[in-house]
Amino acid sequence: MDIELSPADLQFQQEVRAFLTEHAYQPGMDEGQWRRRWFAAAAAKGGWDVPRWPRDFGGPGWTAAQHHLWDLETAAHTLPSDSPFGVTMLAPILMAYATPEQQQRFLPAIRARTVQWCQGYSEPGAGSDLAALKTRAVLSAAGTHYVVNGTKLWTSAAHLADWMFCLTRTSEGARRQQGITFLLIPMRQPGIEIKPIITLGGRHHVNMVHLTDVKVPIENRIGKEGEGWTYAKGLLQHERVGIANIARSAVALAELKRAARQLPCGSGCLLDDPSYRLRLAAVEVDLMALEFTELRSLAAISAGLPVGPESSILKLKGTEIQQRIQKLALEAAGLRGAEWGAMGVTTDAAREAFESYLIGRASTIFGGASEVQRDVIWKNVVRLPQ
Amino acid sequence: MNFELSDEQALLRDSVARFVSQHYSLEQRRKVLLLEPGYSPEHWRAMAELGWLAVPFAVEDGGLGGSPLDIMVIMEQFGAGLVLEPFLASILLGGAALRHGAHAAMKREWLPQVIDGSKQLAFAHGEPQARFDLQHVATHARCEGDDFVLEGTKSFVLNAASAAAFVVSARTRGGVAERDGVTLFLMERARPGVTLRSYPTVDGGRAADLTLQSVRVPRTSVIGAVHEGTSIVTAVVNDAILALAAEAVGAMHALYRDTVQYTQQRSQFGHPLADFQVLQHRMVDMFSEYQLARSLLYRATMEAAQAALDSNGGTQLDSALKAQLEGALKAQRAVHALKYLVGRAGMFIAESAVQLHGGMGMTEDLRVGHYLKRMLVIDLLFGNAEHHLQQFAGQPSQSGLAG
Repeated sequence: MDIELSPADLQFQQEVRAFLTEHAYQPGMDEGQWRRRWFAAAAAKGGWDVPRWPRDFGGPGWTAAQHHLWDLETAAHTLPSDSPFGVTMLAPILMAYATPEQQQRFLPAIRARTVQWCQGYSEPGAGSDLAALKTRAVLSAAGTHYVVNGTKLWTSAAHLADWMFCLTRTSEGARRQQGITFLLIPMRQPGIEIKPIITLGGRHHVNMVHLTDVKVPIENRIGKEGEGWTYAKGLLQHERVGIANIARSAVALAELKRAARQLPCGSGCLLDDPSYRLRLAAVEVDLMALEFTELRSLAAISAGLPVGPESSILKLKGTEIQQRIQKLALEAAGLRGAEWGAMGVTTDAAREAFESYLIGRASTIFGGASEVQRDVIWKNVVRLPQ
Repeated sequence: MNFELSDEQALLRDSVARFVSQHYSLEQRRKVLLLEPGYSPEHWRAMAELGWLAVPFAVEDGGLGGSPLDIMVIMEQFGAGLVLEPFLASILLGGAALRHGAHAAMKREWLPQVIDGSKQLAFAHGEPQARFDLQHVATHARCEGDDFVLEGTKSFVLNAASAAAFVVSARTRGGVAERDGVTLFLMERARPGVTLRSYPTVDGGRAADLTLQSVRVPRTSVIGAVHEGTSIVTAVVNDAILALAAEAVGAMHALYRDTVQYTQQRSQFGHPLADFQVLQHRMVDMFSEYQLARSLLYRATMEAAQAALDSNGGTQLDSALKAQLEGALKAQRAVHALKYLVGRAGMFIAESAVQLHGGMGMTEDLRVGHYLKRMLVIDLLFGNAEHHLQQFAGQPSQSGLAG
């Protein structure tokens, strides 16, 4: 056991820093153009545009230390906006279950970020209990396409997406997890109606999507009919690791600490307040511990070993920590952040703290609510002998 | 960066685990508890023969030159087995003070016997009024010719009655709370003026309060430099905290496993207790706290091992010295963070284990209550969770990962 970074790791860190500096956004740049150039340059470095992809699919094949350093360095920089749905969530499923033709067809555009994806999972009657989903897909008589009818809910970025990966019901099995089929559906076609939902932060992220007699060619089905649940479960696990956002939380915490040191509070600053300081410190300790929890998992993956039971707590604890930081930021903002109004009127930091706090309440709900996480951790890890 | 135990460490772990499984069933432990020294002299000899007592000492002093990671491996198994032998008091506290500060003749005289187990040490540093402040020392020593004369009281000295000598801290100059001016002495128990009030501790150990009345010790008994004992105390206590944390993590694992098994066997309302979601979620929270504590134990222990390696480099470069200092501060912060988390997680897990065992958890017949009592003492030794959170929060942030 040792914590030391090898000379190669340190050189890698320098290389990442140099890359991020060279390709940093400069005021006045066209954002879309910068984004395209940034990902092209990252791809040219040998898979830096898809750090978590396996080497066989063009990923960089980094060690745990390299992943950790990448997360650390990128968290401290402004990166081009990137949606997790294609690169992080769908791609691993395609790599595991799609045909070579399907991989050829979808992966390059996912990697190039030229096609936007959304996730058609939750429904009005199927939230945490995802297996209750009712959106029907019926195979045509000729067997050439499915006809899909139903409603998807809380669909992030549906209004921006070109495609949806979607769980549909093709039959009623003995278990509700049977008879679910995984389909890829183009979003811009007749029969798809998107209704915006404005959430607590006042923004439009999520939607309700009605699908009415939507035709989906059979070559858009991933894997076997009725086996979609198995594929989705793998997908949920990818989503859970991604959601921990540890490096991002570390940056948010450091910024909050800086802000609390500058924020007047009576005759001193907010950080002089013993109660505030101790609560901030307690979050930092938990984050230090969770950071190494993730490293333990990353190290196992890099060594080709099975991931240990510790990885199961990453989403649960990572989102709790995010919310605790958001709440401390809200507290720092004080009533100044409570001034509300039309969207985009102000970029005041206090106001942003309020928005982040409100939007952030969702992190312990989506991707398996924390209560469901505890059910899953019990079932898959804690109750088993170790 | 690497999280695997070395082959030697894996062998050490297996050897300690085997010892614990052979000698530390609840029944066997109960018999050891009744022995007067509070441990089994036979076990102690076995530990010496297996070489465990030699692990942290330098090779040139007859030790094995082990790192904090090797101690972690041993202590985790001791924690799972609720081992009672005075490894902490004699090897990791008293022995460590000699390791850090003893002059060559003192090392020659004492370390071989400490390592072969024939003589034990104790660490007489804490005082009733100091609570958790390590540099608060009221016991004082005045210089008289070639001797020092010690006056004062020391409290909760672990393993005092079995120790041949004490490492005692005493103020040789300055105010009672000053960092500077504390000197460490090696004081034989038989010296005139040393009085012990011995007592058993809640976790089955033994401790004593010491009264020192005009205890005369020669100048050669000074450990390290006169007036500069606090830095040795800090180094010893930091390593001891890592060891206690490893012990606590071993106990946490046993507690959560015992609780899962018990709730799967015990039925109420027509179902195994483990069928009830409210209990499942409590056990998941026990598991999460245990995993966080283990991760931070790895982090703090590896940072300490790294800082120790760096400081042995003997470099003169300013940049390297600066990096060393940063590494040492980072390691110190990680120790505070760890002691806080271990206290919090350990108490939560132990209290939850007793709660979920119901009435049985309140009896002496199951292990859980014994772990709870040990966890109480682990939390309080060298500063409880709240104290270390304050220390952690009070220090300026370093360029750490989360800082």
